[in-house]
Amino acid sequence: METLGYLIDGFGVALAPHNLMFALLGAFLGTLIGALPGLGPANGVAILIPLAFTLGLKPETALIMLTAVYAGAMYGGRISSILLNIPGDEPAMMTCLDGYPMAQKGKAAEALAISAVASFMGSLIATVGLILLAPVLADFALTFGPAEYFALFLLAFATLGGITGKNPMKTVVAACIGLMIATIGIDNTGVQRYTFGTLELFEGVDFIIAIVGLFAISELLFFIEDRVGKGQKLIKVNKLKLSWADIKGIMPSSIRGGILGFIAGVLPGAGASLGSFIGYTLEKKVVGKKGYFGEGDPRGVAGPEAGNNGASSGALVPMLTLGVPGSGTTAVLLALLISLNITPGPLMFTQNADIVWGVIAALLIGNFLLLVLNIPLVGIFVKLLSVPPMYLLPIVTMVAFVGIYSISNTTFDLYFMVAFGVGGYVLRKLEIPLVPVILGLLLGPEMEKNLRHAMDISDGDWTILWDSGLAIGLWLFAGIGLILPYIVGPILRKRMAVKTAHTTPGD
Amino acid sequence: MSMFNDRIFGVLMIVLAVAYGWGASQFPEPFGGAEAVGPETFPYLLAVVLGLSSLYMVVRPDPDNAWPWSRTGVELIIALVVLVLYAGLLQPLGFILSTLLAVGTLCWRMGARPGKAYLVGGISGVAVYLIFNFALDLPLPLGVLSFLEVG
Repeated sequence: METLGYLIDGFGVALAPHNLMFALLGAFLGTLIGALPGLGPANGVAILIPLAFTLGLKPETALIMLTAVYAGAMYGGRISSILLNIPGDEPAMMTCLDGYPMAQKGKAAEALAISAVASFMGSLIATVGLILLAPVLADFALTFGPAEYFALFLLAFATLGGITGKNPMKTVVAACIGLMIATIGIDNTGVQRYTFGTLELFEGVDFIIAIVGLFAISELLFFIEDRVGKGQKLIKVNKLKLSWADIKGIMPSSIRGGILGFIAGVLPGAGASLGSFIGYTLEKKVVGKKGYFGEGDPRGVAGPEAGNNGASSGALVPMLTLGVPGSGTTAVLLALLISLNITPGPLMFTQNADIVWGVIAALLIGNFLLLVLNIPLVGIFVKLLSVPPMYLLPIVTMVAFVGIYSISNTTFDLYFMVAFGVGGYVLRKLEIPLVPVILGLLLGPEMEKNLRHAMDISDGDWTILWDSGLAIGLWLFAGIGLILPYIVGPILRKRMAVKTAHTTPGD
Repeated sequence: MSMFNDRIFGVLMIVLAVAYGWGASQFPEPFGGAEAVGPETFPYLLAVVLGLSSLYMVVRPDPDNAWPWSRTGVELIIALVVLVLYAGLLQPLGFILSTLLAVGTLCWRMGARPGKAYLVGGISGVAVYLIFNFALDLPLPLGVLSFLEVG
């Protein structure tokens, strides 16, 4: 019941007029970001962080806005899946399977509306799950000592690639690169590390510059390489004809998808892609022969879409309670928290209760806003889909420049950002994931701090790192997280590829 | 299918790991004497892990992705030059002019008609300048256009 009281306080924060306004703005921008080609959710949130800073927003307002962007991007991602058969991001892949056939049959408006309702249900279920689970997990996390935290961070890196990941060793390489960059600067004993006497490096590398460079600039370079400057043909969206019976028809699918998605989102290493994949597969099993999956069955849109949104809200659970994000976008949100001087983790629930619960309440409100925004305004978002990337990406790059420049008004940061962009391009070419690099940058200082604390306690005895049952368990899971992709990864990937092969062109 | 990319990158990373580890051994002892975990301990760990995982990349590389040589490569280099110049000219030339040039050139090189490309660059530059200066109260440099400054 304590939770309920906090939640009511949270609504007090979230319903304050200016917070509500920024939530609406965030929801709108988020849908835009999700819908636009070449702007994934992590990328979009990253570009908006500097702006949230320079505007001097209060922590809870900034966080509410960017959480709304995050939720909105998940809604927006489905639009291009349905209309163009191009998933905005990986989890939206499954929505293509039945969404695009529906659009081909002249039922694009229905597919969009159904997916909006399913997204809403998925997020709603997952947010309720978050409200119930987060305080419990936060309480449990209070028992963690420094050794357990150190192991937990390892677990986060090990499972980041997900069990469908390709080459876990590359995740390790990426994490090391990120952690190494994080060690640059003056450490807490006052020793300069890897600064080469450069004044700008004394305070370390600003991870916001790194994130924007790695995502936004490398994306521009990829678009130039792929020569896909021309826009997509505008798709006609028919007039919406949706009855209550249709909505009722997809409800069971949405609820099942939402619950599965939430579980997949909370668990380390599962992630939203697997959430929507399981959502789709389960739907096919449950409905069985009565369905016409792959040919435009509305339940085939609702299941994965609810799963996808459920997973993205579920992913907030480990991020908020443990300070350990499980996905790229939640990593970017963590970057925001750290820059606002809020230490994520169990203590946040007691020390910054108003912010945490304000954000959770904002997530609930944001979902209603998104549902309301998405059904009547879908026409606008569809028009935006036809904006050619050759105009869009240069402008996005400019926004990244302005954002980074306005943080400190120095050119040095801009050169740095471009350098990170080139680095990001090379890493992506080598199929080395960028998210572990970012996570390394973010968690590096905390990880080292916990290692030092643990060693101080044990007086230099390394065995303290695996001394408690909990720590051993975490190490074990981390090990499994690295080995499992080699065993089940190829099988799962093959299945997902077979499912999507006949509709998605290429890979 | 060649597998050079991963091998070369792996070797580079091993070199980095060694250099990084050597760098850590050169840290001065912190004020107040050495402790169980000094400034160099965590870097040592990282150097070892990076070295081993890079070695794995060298031994078991993935197939290569093609690098863009020839024309696309030139386009990429043009884009990079534009980005670096944009960063360098933002202050001296001012935000509006440098944006006109940078966004315009990028749009053009990505396939837009030159006239339309620079028009987009100019409009976006002016629009963002106005939003930042007047709506958000964050001054951006005017550079050579500073004679336009009001007040």
